[in-house]
Amino acid sequence: KTPLDTPIESRAYSSRYQVKCRHRRESETDYHARKRLVSQAKNKYNAPKYRLAVRFTNKNIIVQIAYARLQGDFILCAAQSRELPKYGIEHGLTNWTAAYATGLLCARRALTKLGLVDKYEGTVEPDGEMTLVEALDDEDAPRPFKCYLDAGLKRTSTGSRIFGAMKGASDGGLFIPHSEKRFPGFDVESKTLDAEVLKKYIFGGHVAEDMKSLQEEDDERFKKQAAIRGNPTFEPSEKEKDCREESLKYKTHGLTCEQRAVRVPGRLEIPP
Amino acid sequence: MPHSFGYRARTRDMFKRGFKEKGPIKMSTYLTPYKVGDIVDIKANAAEQKGMPHKYYHGKTGIVYNITPRGVGVICNKVVGNRYLEKRVNLRIEHVKHSKCRQEFLDRVKRNAALKAEAKEKGERIVLKREPAQPRQAHHVTAEGLPQTIVPVAYETTI
Repeated sequence: KTPLDTPIESRAYSSRYQVKCRHRRESETDYHARKRLVSQAKNKYNAPKYRLAVRFTNKNIIVQIAYARLQGDFILCAAQSRELPKYGIEHGLTNWTAAYATGLLCARRALTKLGLVDKYEGTVEPDGEMTLVEALDDEDAPRPFKCYLDAGLKRTSTGSRIFGAMKGASDGGLFIPHSEKRFPGFDVESKTLDAEVLKKYIFGGHVAEDMKSLQEEDDERFKKQAAIRGNPTFEPSEKEKDCREESLKYKTHGLTCEQRAVRVPGRLEIPP
Repeated sequence: MPHSFGYRARTRDMFKRGFKEKGPIKMSTYLTPYKVGDIVDIKANAAEQKGMPHKYYHGKTGIVYNITPRGVGVICNKVVGNRYLEKRVNLRIEHVKHSKCRQEFLDRVKRNAALKAEAKEKGERIVLKREPAQPRQAHHVTAEGLPQTIVPVAYETTI
């Protein structure tokens, strides 16, 4: 037998091969990071350890506040950039500004759910400065909601949109420990953050500079942020047709037990 | 007499990961909560070298007496000479799991409580004690045809 004839995946290979766990196989989860993000100190028992999970698809940004349990992760609240049109941001739904807005939306929703909305306003007028949410002075007052940024599989390079979402959530009133190092506008040599640049990014100024016709949108973006703060509750959009009915028409059903039994003899053949 | 007595001497097989169980430790190990008083089995997980038990404690069961950020303190009984000594072992979570021995008891307690409440409602008398398997009751056995009587074959010498 020539090397071309011998199959790479022989029977011995298949029977000894150890698969990685599914989310690793599907390149969805970085377990090295997940173990450290998610495991709670044992002497804090069942206290949830929240993480702000930011994920980007081609057309959408998903920001979720999640905590891990044995049954699976529970989501405290979530926001998608697809919801931004309701608040007036219609285009550029995967850019830095949209990430900021989605993070902001998620944060305000979470705080509303927890009843902390009025106590932790965050930065109402974002100015690009690096600020961490501080606890209220009163000793009896509830401490800020803390969560940790979960970048997923995205590279955490300076200026990344993940940090846009994080800045939005932080300005929204969540306490997310971070430093200014990865914001756009951070100068590596002098190790300082140029707040002006960051502020420009928050308002889509970087986009505006590219497209002169968007210059007028500067003001409008600010109004849109006010809209998010005004009403962060989630309202499902009215649907014209019943999506479920439509998709059922196309649904392919799995094989029944009898149909599968027909296939069994063929599958019992041992491959060479 | 062996030549070496290192801490992990003779643990080549004991501390091996299972077949097709190598690699990262599953997340549920880090997500299971432990409380003081829990009964836990000690099983070394060679994927995490910190906080490993000494080979003596591998397979022992003990009670949690202390909980730290990444580990637990377990009380085990060790036979030394003619007596048991109470030993306190500090272990990382990866080497510990909840013992099912306790779970069986706790389930039974719950079941009994429910049965008792039920019986109290109905006014019935109920016995909650576990009974060992009893000898079989008298019963009829049917067979096809007459049973064959078996008799030992006479001993034959062949010289």
